[in-house]
Amino acid sequence: MSVLSSPFAKKPNTVTQLMLWVVLATLPGVFALVFFFGVGVIVNLFIACSTALITESIILKLRQRPVAPILWDGSAFVTAWLLALALPPLLPWWMTVLGTSFAIVFAKHVYGGLGNNIFNPAMVGYVLLLISFPLEMTTWLPPQELAAHPVGVVETVGIIFSGQGSNTATIDMLKQGVDGYTMATPLDHIKTQLAQGYRLPEAETAPIIKGLSGVGWQWVNLGFLVGGLVLMFKKVIGWQIPIGVLLGMGLISLPLFFANSDEYLFPMFHGFAGATMLGAFFIATDPVTASTTPKGRWIFGLGIGAITVLIRTFGGYPDAIAFAVLLMNMAVPMIDYYTKPRTYGHARNAKESS
Amino acid sequence: MEATRANDTGQTVGGSLMERSNFASEIPIFEIPGGVHPEEHKTRSNQADIRTLSLPDELIINIKGQAGNRSIPVVEVGDTVLKGQMIAECDGIFSSYQHAPTSGTIVAIEDRTIAHPSGLSDQCIIIQPDGKDKWCQLTPVRDFDQLSREEMLATIFESGIVGLGGASFPAHIKLKRESGIHTLIINAAECEPYITCDDRLLREHSREVLKGAEVISKLYSDIDIVVGIEDNKPSAIDALVSARKELGFSNIKIAVVPTKYPSGGEKQLIQIITGKEVPHGKLPADLGLVMHNVGTCFAIYETFYLGKPLIQRLVTLTGDACKEPGNYWVPFGTPVSHIINQTHAESPKRIIMGGPMMGYELPSTEVGIVKATNCIIMSAEGELGFDNPTLPCIRCGACMDACPASLLPQQLYWHAQADEFDKAEEYDLFDCIECGACAYVCPSHIPLVQYYRYAKSSIKNNRIEKTKAEKARQRHEARQERLERVKREKAERHRKAAEARKKAAQKAGKKDEKKAAVQAALERVKAKKKAQENKDDNKPATGEEK
Repeated sequence: MSVLSSPFAKKPNTVTQLMLWVVLATLPGVFALVFFFGVGVIVNLFIACSTALITESIILKLRQRPVAPILWDGSAFVTAWLLALALPPLLPWWMTVLGTSFAIVFAKHVYGGLGNNIFNPAMVGYVLLLISFPLEMTTWLPPQELAAHPVGVVETVGIIFSGQGSNTATIDMLKQGVDGYTMATPLDHIKTQLAQGYRLPEAETAPIIKGLSGVGWQWVNLGFLVGGLVLMFKKVIGWQIPIGVLLGMGLISLPLFFANSDEYLFPMFHGFAGATMLGAFFIATDPVTASTTPKGRWIFGLGIGAITVLIRTFGGYPDAIAFAVLLMNMAVPMIDYYTKPRTYGHARNAKESS
Repeated sequence: MEATRANDTGQTVGGSLMERSNFASEIPIFEIPGGVHPEEHKTRSNQADIRTLSLPDELIINIKGQAGNRSIPVVEVGDTVLKGQMIAECDGIFSSYQHAPTSGTIVAIEDRTIAHPSGLSDQCIIIQPDGKDKWCQLTPVRDFDQLSREEMLATIFESGIVGLGGASFPAHIKLKRESGIHTLIINAAECEPYITCDDRLLREHSREVLKGAEVISKLYSDIDIVVGIEDNKPSAIDALVSARKELGFSNIKIAVVPTKYPSGGEKQLIQIITGKEVPHGKLPADLGLVMHNVGTCFAIYETFYLGKPLIQRLVTLTGDACKEPGNYWVPFGTPVSHIINQTHAESPKRIIMGGPMMGYELPSTEVGIVKATNCIIMSAEGELGFDNPTLPCIRCGACMDACPASLLPQQLYWHAQADEFDKAEEYDLFDCIECGACAYVCPSHIPLVQYYRYAKSSIKNNRIEKTKAEKARQRHEARQERLERVKREKAERHRKAAEARKKAAQKAGKKDEKKAAVQAALERVKAKKKAQENKDDNKPATGEEK
């Protein structure tokens, strides 16, 4: 098609800029992650992003597409970036590579590349790893301030690439925190404790549970919240989805909490635990795989929030953003179909029945 | 339902601050969904007074110079014409008369490139000006109070007046419906960037415009008038206010609307001013509204008060390449090349007719100005039309947020590019007003409007094809039936003939029997006779001898 068609004026924004904004907005959260969980986060980012760019280049070559312009749109980079932020900091390097390349090849290019995939690629990569390597994927270090043995850069790199740090520290040694206490994230810890018959107030006495949700995690979530709000005000992302996710979580967790506060977490805890803010503002808002209508975005966000709390509370996994996002991705075509906005001049409540 | 979007780029225009009016709107105004704030680029052309161009060597008057049907030339090559003389009559009601923009000679009636993005040719009347610019006899009808409604409409019709907002819809058609119309809205929003002809016209000719509006209001026995104008035209608003006072028109209200594209779209301005939407498939008249552009009001003024038919219009000549930007009275048919020369434009990169949002690039500079031409942008390198590569749609929804019709441009695009036209229609493709706000904000630089135009024209073509096919089928069936009938009739004839023959044959057969019987009887008689004779011969002289 010719480009010599109106409008001749253009708002100077590009997909690349949008992607850049997304990466920039994660930085507060990234700093918090690095501060509390070590430089493994940065190593993961590096591994994932280089894997994504290399994989994307190879696939584009194979698909006989122009490599440079498409690589430049930044979407592969963002996928890898977000996936890496969801990975445990000391994940063996090849798992990161596997997850990222799977996300690029199977979740994105098999469907036709940018704009055509129905599932969030980062979350597809994440879930592949979570299901295949449940142990490694739930192995988080205790936050640095609680760690008996703070992890240095060399050790981190060593563990990620060879499974062993320089001082022959193994991951099992590093995992030891206060009281010989373990690798679990706050959500994981509480899930395990409840399963063992403890009541919530007892489970919450653990040293990693502090403040809004837990040592480190509350700051990580606050970081992503701040970045997410920036994106929202910059209109890089719509506001319906993130607000919907948080609201959806609240709508399920609040009644549960009031029904039985011995067993069900306070909504605020859900909001600042695990991958909540990263999920709400950065993952669920992937425009390609999210609902695209104003009403649909609400439904999509609310669904993710609700499913997340339900799986966290009643399911087998401590965190569930990834599953919730993928499940709602599946529902998107139907949501979009039934949430077409009323066009100018059309009857106010005429439901298109065709 | 949507909140106002941040006025992010609205304030700065081409490096200078665009003044906003502090004049409070005299009627409450409403929000429209969507809309964008492109850079205005208006200060460049709205500073200078209205000017005129010198006459070109020839005027190229396109007989398809308005919406609707072509006009029919009523002059011949070699004729001399006076300024204002009718040179083409309308073809049916949905068409327009055309008049000579100056005095001179008809030197040709031939196909020339016309003002259309396709670069198509069509019949044009070529006038060579004689330089005298001599008017024909003008007959103003100032005491139009004496005229009947039909006579007033006829005056407008015969003056060749069409909507001068840019769509050039014949004015008399819009004015036809009389019953139930309670408000005339004067569209002075002029929301397209660059264009300032309405702004300038109001600043210098507010009184004439209001007098023209008053004429229209007379058509409906003095209905209310609301002038809808964007707040980026403070001087025009001031001019309107003082003209109203001077003329003592009390039935005119001024609605100052926030600057946002496309506030000047007919349906959008109605929504802003009344809070109502024109129902799908209905007309503004069904809401009791009639809307006309300020330029149209001015033309109606000139027709009634001065007797002048529509032979020229105010055109904004602008763009980075244009050295003398401003607003000019341009006679219809003036070639764009002449305009480029006259404004000393330096090798423009692109020439856009209309605004940057809805206009189109001219395929040639040897094209005559038509009634719809409100602006010519002579753009410099890099000014308009970026050569950004198109990326895939990421469904970000920016287009949806910008759409003033609350459509889902992303879904329309999806279906249009896949040729799923029925789906595109389900998503109300035909409610798209092609304002271009969606393509303006698209971060993937997808020429969205072009896809919608493609889908619309494909659907229309399909419909035409379908009707044609249906007609062909009917013709075929009719022929088939006729052939059948002929065959049947033939068969029937044959059958009847055969029957007749058979009957005849049977009849003939019966006759034969009789004949045979007679014959047989005769034979028998003969045989008897012979036998008798033989008997006699064998008995010699028995009886006679006795």
